[in-house]
Amino acid sequence: MAVGVVLADSSIVVLALPDIYRELNTSVSGVTWVLVSFNLVMALAAVPAALIARRVGPGRAAAIGLAIFAGAGLACGLADSLSTLILARCVQALGGAAAVTAALELLPATVGSEQRAATVWAAAGATGAALGPALGGILTELVSWQSIFLLQVPVALVAAVPILAVAKHEAATGIVSTELRRTGRPHLWANLALAMVSAAIAAALFLLVLLLIEGWRLSPIEAALVVTVMPLAALLGGKLAGYVPEARPRAAAGAILVSGGLAGLAFLPKATIALTLPPQVLVGIGLALVLSALTETALGGRAPQAIHGGWTISARHAGVVIGLLLLTPIFTADIDQQRHDAINAGTAVILDSPVNPLLKLDLAEKVSRRLEEEKGKVPTIGPAFEPLPDDSGERSEVQQLQGELQDQLDRGATHAFSTSFILAALLGLIALLPIALSKEVEL
Amino acid sequence: MSPGEDRRSRGFLLVVGAVVVSAILVGAYLAAGGSSYTPEKVQNPCEPRPWSNPKSLGEIANQFTVSALDGAACKLGVTREALARALATPEGRQRFKKKYGIDDKKLAQAVRAGLVRAIDDAEEAGALSPLIASPLRETVQRIPLDQAIEFINDAESFLGNVNSFLGPAQSLLEEFLP
Repeated sequence: MAVGVVLADSSIVVLALPDIYRELNTSVSGVTWVLVSFNLVMALAAVPAALIARRVGPGRAAAIGLAIFAGAGLACGLADSLSTLILARCVQALGGAAAVTAALELLPATVGSEQRAATVWAAAGATGAALGPALGGILTELVSWQSIFLLQVPVALVAAVPILAVAKHEAATGIVSTELRRTGRPHLWANLALAMVSAAIAAALFLLVLLLIEGWRLSPIEAALVVTVMPLAALLGGKLAGYVPEARPRAAAGAILVSGGLAGLAFLPKATIALTLPPQVLVGIGLALVLSALTETALGGRAPQAIHGGWTISARHAGVVIGLLLLTPIFTADIDQQRHDAINAGTAVILDSPVNPLLKLDLAEKVSRRLEEEKGKVPTIGPAFEPLPDDSGERSEVQQLQGELQDQLDRGATHAFSTSFILAALLGLIALLPIALSKEVEL
Repeated sequence: MSPGEDRRSRGFLLVVGAVVVSAILVGAYLAAGGSSYTPEKVQNPCEPRPWSNPKSLGEIANQFTVSALDGAACKLGVTREALARALATPEGRQRFKKKYGIDDKKLAQAVRAGLVRAIDDAEEAGALSPLIASPLRETVQRIPLDQAIEFINDAESFLGNVNSFLGPAQSLLEEFLP
């Protein structure tokens, strides 16, 4: 539960970003740091947190980590500026890193073996990452973006209750692994592949959500319902993984499916929700296959688990940071260009229409004003066409124009994400190289 | 089949399945027009835009406006669409001038050039008599900017007025000319 809650936090705010963006009056690049800051600190803190957990005892480390995570979550929920929110997210990540890595040390006692613990831990992480956006979207729509963080407080505290018993036992008995075993080197290729695939998956979630909300003007709850396909498909992927015991083909197939899904999203032939579903199914199945296989590979035969788990957490979150920092400037530039092209194409449709010149120039002006009002975003064009003309013939011509202009805007909004989706797909494919090089690992 | 071979063949099938499914999805989306789902490109305003045999005054006015915008946009080196949005209101015009670094003099020259191109196009399409086109061409090159913009924005009234003023003169000229 602790692992799921913390790793869901990496992606849970994705659907809330447009609301945060509006409410805290920031830019797309600025709001991206709500995600980047958390993932960056997780990437940097995971291994040191695992070392601390080994020194102070995993029970105590996990309990303290969850308490910090909950406290910082409260601060996130009460934040009234972007800088406060980002700072609180950094603290949240520190607590999260401690909780997640320590949990890996605690799990073998609960589930029976280190290998089983690694599987459960990897599955909890993949489920959390896949479920996060949908959960965040529903909370944002039904309550507010702040509720995402406020709800984490009781959930983290509930997860801490059983861990407290372990912490008390550690304090009473003094059983703490102060003598650190040789950890061995982290599995380079598996962690490298994990970073690349995580970059691709983060991009898939982040870009798809932005496309749905900012590009196609869906509400957060509608977008949440749409992206629910991914965790559902991930469940299917989890089942599929059970039939293939070897980690390497699972990881390779997963990376290929993630890339295939991303390429599908890059070449959407129409701005229709239904067309996003098959690519999402591929990404969902792919992420379940690849994340669990690579995490198991990175942990397989290595001790202590917490430190190697720390490396996988570090790799995953570093990948998310790289993906976001690499793709954000590309798609923000593309959005501006495509918005400009779409408006010109839409104006051309108006100018070339048989509508009365006075009316068409009036429409062109209203469209222009609408753009000013929704600066930097893909506008909803409906209000520019109101009120509709009284004459039925003219009204139907104007309605047709509205449809054509909206089509141009949808084309622009959809195409604006294409380059970023293609690059994310390439990251997924490049991950095949380290996956191929990780052949010596036997689980 | 040994357990080892079974494990390997399952893994192989999973990878092949992933490749096939991904290829089918991407191929289907590309075949359905996924690579061309982009905003349509706007035409270069300096290229000729053929008139589609207008008959009524409204249709002529429509094409006249488009030709005038093309001509003016070509002269300014901007798109016809950006200019149309700019000429609709004084605020739009101010924003446009600031964005492209254009002063009133340059804008006036361009708008007048646009009107001349519209008259040329109308004459070539047979929508405007050469006897009316020539004096009209002379006139639009001397009018102030606001009036030139009004002629573009309300081409129907402009052409209607031209017809009512110069129409009788044209009949007279046609009567006396060989």
